[in-house]
Amino acid sequence: MSASKSIPPTTVTITSTPEGVRVEPVGDLTIATLAAVRSAVERELPAKLGPSITLDLAKSGEVDASGVGLAVFLYRTAKSRGASFVCVGVTADRRVLVDLALRGQDPQIHGAPTGLVREVGIASLAIYELAVDLVRFSGELVLVAVQLVFKPRGLRVRDTLNAMARHGTDAVPVVSLLGLLIGAIIAFQTFDPLSKYGAKLQVADVVAISIVRELGPLITAIILAGRSGSAFAAEIGTMKVTQELDALRTFGIDPVRFLVMPRMIAAVLVTPLLSVWASMLGVAGGYAVLGAHGFTVAQYMSEVKVALTVGGFVQGLIKAAIFALLVSAIGCLAGLRTGQGPGAVGVSTTRAVVAGIVAIILADSVLGAFFYTIGI
Amino acid sequence: MNTAAPTPSNTAAVAPASKIAVALRGVSIGYNGVPVVEDIDLEIFAGEILFIGGGSGCGKTTLLSSLNTLRPPISGSIKIDGIEIVGADQETLQSVRRRFGMMYQLGALFGGMTLLDNVRLPLEEFTDLDRASMDEVARAKLGLVGLGEHALKQPSEISGGMQKRAAIARALALDPQIIFLDEPSAGLDPVTSADLDALIVALNHMLGTTFVIISHELASIFAIGHRFAMLDGARKRLVALGPPAELRDHSPDEWVRRFLSRVPSSET
Ligand SMILES: Nc1ncnc2c1ncn2[C@@H]1O[C@H](COP(=O)(O)OP(=O)(O)OP(=O)(O)O)[C@@H](O)[C@H]1O
Ligand SMILES: [Mg+2]
Repeated sequence: MSASKSIPPTTVTITSTPEGVRVEPVGDLTIATLAAVRSAVERELPAKLGPSITLDLAKSGEVDASGVGLAVFLYRTAKSRGASFVCVGVTADRRVLVDLALRGQDPQIHGAPTGLVREVGIASLAIYELAVDLVRFSGELVLVAVQLVFKPRGLRVRDTLNAMARHGTDAVPVVSLLGLLIGAIIAFQTFDPLSKYGAKLQVADVVAISIVRELGPLITAIILAGRSGSAFAAEIGTMKVTQELDALRTFGIDPVRFLVMPRMIAAVLVTPLLSVWASMLGVAGGYAVLGAHGFTVAQYMSEVKVALTVGGFVQGLIKAAIFALLVSAIGCLAGLRTGQGPGAVGVSTTRAVVAGIVAIILADSVLGAFFYTIGI
Repeated sequence: MNTAAPTPSNTAAVAPASKIAVALRGVSIGYNGVPVVEDIDLEIFAGEILFIGGGSGCGKTTLLSSLNTLRPPISGSIKIDGIEIVGADQETLQSVRRRFGMMYQLGALFGGMTLLDNVRLPLEEFTDLDRASMDEVARAKLGLVGLGEHALKQPSEISGGMQKRAAIARALALDPQIIFLDEPSAGLDPVTSADLDALIVALNHMLGTTFVIISHELASIFAIGHRFAMLDGARKRLVALGPPAELRDHSPDEWVRRFLSRVPSSET
């Protein structure tokens, strides 16, 4: 960067005396010339500064609010090397500008530089903290839930119903679509391999078992994480940023009772229903493939009935409820733990979705092993 | 619900022993163990209008967040109506929270609820009033801040200054004896701001309500403030306390005199 052509470039004289270093720009000190001047000064500033740096602006032409950056630079250089700083040769207006710019510019000690190892360390610590937080939060939830059992008036019934509508009813279209498609996809993928063994109709078994026990609850929960876990985190997180949570607390209203409980209760009530609906549509989707190969609905359904057991159905319901519990708790917790500033809500939302989905998969594997062991 | 709830009439006439509404002794408050304000000693008298001032970022809101029981101080003692809140159990804190109203710097109205519902919420939670009476009380509070006709609007449907006023109405909901206001007049036009001053004085005269108000509004401070407390961010201390006009003219501290007479810091 250099000054525009018509203006002669700014030069800097730097003189070193026992009293210290004197920096004297000759020419304009503006946004156009600052970079050149600054790098010249940086290059020529002697290693030994002496007791002070003096910036003399008597010979400088125009000085704008960016040009004052030179004073800030020299001030910070002087302070970090134990020297003092003075600015001389200034008019009253420039004095104001320089004084205002120098406020609070003392160099601060920055934290250790970040490296990969450090980043990884911080990230693992964050996961650990979230897990510890979640355990502590569970305790809080149980406590509040017990209080509500003894004092049901404390539950915001209207909010709970609203949440059921928003996170249940409103999710029906997307859950239906995915259920239907997943059922069709499974049937489609298993039709060829099974027909090799002459077991075409047994595709119905595969669809029914995998959808009802596994995929119905799973896709419903993943949609819940994306639609509702994120919404919980964003709603509660925004309330934190705008001090609404503080306002609740100063009214003596516990945000867990007031905000978290309605959302969690709604999620745990509606998710199993959604999951059953998704499973029904999944089974219907499976018929699309078999129907195309000439099987009747009656044939398909009688095979489905053989495959389905009460145990499998109950397993699906329990999974859906547990996933909902995890996703909604994680979403609300992420919201409550939102940090400060405009980006914080975004961070919480991401955390809610990612942690929610990870929790679903972890829980699914644990539950799968559990149900297998007890023989359902 | 809570039988110990103070009603305006009986707490206005409390015994002389509790003439001090809020008492701070050696209070330091900060974030992550790093103090923002240190060693604050301050006694706020029942029935006074105290303004708290100081440069932007000096810790006024932080101080208020400890007075309103949400942020435990790093050290020191805070008593509200003679009740120690530092280290107090939840039950004590809950009962103390019933004694004050608070307006946050950002308004902090509950989104998705009408202004009326915002003001009603504390009434629903803490009183046994029937629905119709709650509505009436809430409407009266909105009327006091000039928002009567907007009662059924959502916070997102009104201007920033109106949100502030609605938040003040909500702080008045339970007729508390102590009211904390964080920059109530920032963003209000001069007439509305003067109306707010008049409301504060009226409540103060009629009900003996104590007001602790963070404000940069010199006109308000001189017009209605009984005392002014000044925080200094650099020194992290309370650097002045007294009647505003007296401090402006005679404070030994130059920064305090400057602040109250609006002299820029570059002027010497
Ligand atoms: N959540 C936080 N975490 C860490 N530091 C904070 C936090 N909130 C505020 N601070 C710091 O505490 C100091 C005081 O902030 P505070 O909000 O109390 O200032 P204030 O006096 O109310 O300012 P203003 O007049 O601008 O509202 C500031 O320096 C700020 O950087
Ligand atoms: Mg503030």
